[in-house]
Amino acid sequence: MQNQSRLLDIVDRAYDGPPCEERDFDLKHVAAGVARVVKEYDIGFDRSTFIQRDDDMIDRLFEASLDFLESCGVYNATTGRRMLFTGREIKEYVASAPKEAVIGEGRDAHTEVYRSVEDPRPPTIIGSPIGSPLSEDMYVPIMQSYIQEPIVDTTTPGTLDSTYGREPRTQSPYEVVAAWQEVDLIFDAARRAGRPGMSIGCVQMAISEIGHLSAISRGGYRPVDWHSIAMFSEMKVNNGLLIKVAHSVRTDGVIQSFYNPILGGLGGGEEGVAVLIVAGLMAMQLMYMAATHSSAPVTPLIPADTVPQLLRSMSAAHSALSRHTGMMTDLPISPLAGPGTETLLYEVVAAATVGTVCGASRLMGPRSATGVHLNHCTGLEARFMGEVGHAVTGTSREQAEEVVQRAVARYEPELTGKPFGKPFAELYDVAKVRPNAEWLGIYDEVKEEVASWGVDFG
Amino acid sequence: MAIDPKYSELVTNIENGDEDGGIEAAKGLLESGVDPLDIVQDAIMPCLKEIGDRFARMEVFLPEMMLAADVVKGVQDVLRERFSAIEVASEGRVVIGTVFGDIHDIGKNIVAAVLEANGYEVHNLGVNVDPKDFIKKAREVDADLIGLSSLMTTSIPYMRDVIDLVKESEVDRDRFKLIIGGGPVSEETVELTGADGWGENAADAVDAVRALMESG
Ligand code: B12
Repeated sequence: MQNQSRLLDIVDRAYDGPPCEERDFDLKHVAAGVARVVKEYDIGFDRSTFIQRDDDMIDRLFEASLDFLESCGVYNATTGRRMLFTGREIKEYVASAPKEAVIGEGRDAHTEVYRSVEDPRPPTIIGSPIGSPLSEDMYVPIMQSYIQEPIVDTTTPGTLDSTYGREPRTQSPYEVVAAWQEVDLIFDAARRAGRPGMSIGCVQMAISEIGHLSAISRGGYRPVDWHSIAMFSEMKVNNGLLIKVAHSVRTDGVIQSFYNPILGGLGGGEEGVAVLIVAGLMAMQLMYMAATHSSAPVTPLIPADTVPQLLRSMSAAHSALSRHTGMMTDLPISPLAGPGTETLLYEVVAAATVGTVCGASRLMGPRSATGVHLNHCTGLEARFMGEVGHAVTGTSREQAEEVVQRAVARYEPELTGKPFGKPFAELYDVAKVRPNAEWLGIYDEVKEEVASWGVDFG
Repeated sequence: MAIDPKYSELVTNIENGDEDGGIEAAKGLLESGVDPLDIVQDAIMPCLKEIGDRFARMEVFLPEMMLAADVVKGVQDVLRERFSAIEVASEGRVVIGTVFGDIHDIGKNIVAAVLEANGYEVHNLGVNVDPKDFIKKAREVDADLIGLSSLMTTSIPYMRDVIDLVKESEVDRDRFKLIIGGGPVSEETVELTGADGWGENAADAVDAVRALMESG
């Protein structure tokens, strides 16, 4: 539910909350708070599996995260105050989260829905390189390669590596120009793919609130697009982010929130990361009135969310939210490997399966090659992500576990290397926007193998 | 190298992040006549290095590293107080921050903590740091090295601004070494920005900083 009274109530807390030094917040409220609830609620994962199936433990994880959120609150780095919420407010706000949202328009409109653990309905497929840097000349063909995939329901673009040949410095007039260039190019790509009404996750070039305020206005992004707003790790916002929220509430946009906690950071190990995901996603429901809530946790050593520890964190966290709330959650897939490699596809199998059976509403990505290598992303891997998501829909967690085990065994040895693959132009016919024989061959082979594991691609 | 058992109380307190306990232990050692420089070299440095290594193996996490560094700061103050003539050894002074426009700080904070754990005096300026503020702080603390973190291509130009400010200044040019890091940073970025070096991850950052310090 989005409304201005609630918005103002939230903003007030940024000014009325207790003042706190940032380092004290980090150590005394976040680090000590997570450690406390992990111990008190006896949260421990089964290290021999990826998909966590101990529902008692999952239920305790939810209670632990509620307790943590109530005691810790969210730090506003602009005002230096903790924004606090009572347990009752948290429950009430979370209960008011929408269970369904219509995004996009016309023929391309799509309804996304809350999903339960092992839900028989497929997740929404967000085929996207999620902010990966794209060159100006490749932007339209690359984004078209995602949008044209029939299985893709919605997208969010990459970021522009340059804007009209200039460096797109954030918080400068270039940011405004770049944000509008994103609008022009992504709608062009959508038209070329024949899906002009598709909802777009925006604004990727809104590195600050400047791009957001500018490009979500007349002639730019629409209320039917989903407006993406981050919360910083761990458990922090600033006024720049709350300005984005205020703007999207007043322009009636569908809000998507995201928050990426870190393994080995203030939350400690994989159980702590799960607490931060559950608490963080609920916090964003409270503060942002978001329709969907996303988390791509990271590790300090391998920049991917497909490492075994994080598969467990995500599995437990999504299951906890799905069992106890009606919130719609996104599972962004951030593999290490890039296009043109088998490794990327195996990583996608594992993460897409975890998300689909653990109640995520939307699968998002893949953000191939860690999301930092220029043009290292193609629509074909998004097609595969969607196909896996649809194929494993409705399977039991036991069956799904087997698939994940096999996939992880195939890619885990590669995670210490740099399997970043090849750029788009070496894997697609750029003019026709079609994958070439090499990339299709790898895709077919992996798909066949995964089918032999019992995944029914229909 | 095993740490002498006479330091075990101090080491345990550093590992447990107990500042009061650490200070007490250090005072005890001083009273029994142990040289403060030995305390630093034979107990604190190897202990911090061990904590850094455990982090790399994910056996301890960021809070433990931060708290251990706090204990060490407290202990060093005691050592300095007692023996003001003695300069408590530090591997070097580093000013570090995430450049303007960028709020990604996870990696930068890890690098800062690991550098501290390896005996460097680290001044962490936080995120979204104005180019001029890096220079101001570096002058103020007489830094050896400025570390710049950027996770986004859209903030790399601000990284270059800091480097240009240093390289174009006659006073600062030979004084501060510049090291960069963050997701999109590579050998190419070093060339593009004119930095003196870069680090791909936290372990690499320590090696790169050490190499730059040794290059004088
Ligand atoms: C976590 C994360 C976030 C979190 C940040 C939380 C925080 N407190 O830092 C949140 C959710 C807030 C976030 C927000 C945004 N993000 Co972000 N984010 C990431 C993500 C997934 C991981 C980064 C990370 O922490 N990695 C883990 C750490 C440990 O690794 P690291 O930072 O690389 O650090 C290591 C090394 O690089 C090195 N190092 C780092 N610094 C230094 C410094 C020195 C001196 C040395 C020697 C070494 C060194 O050592 C570190 C330790 O090993 C990356 C993806 C990626 N692959 O990097 C995207 C990414 C950086 N984000 C991106 C984007 C676009 C954004 C947003 C603009 C999205 C939006 N539209 O709102 C906003 C930015 C807001 C802003 N003004 O900065 C893009 C940038 C693309 C580009 N054009 O370059 C990336 C690449 C993802 C993507 N493809 O979309 N993000």
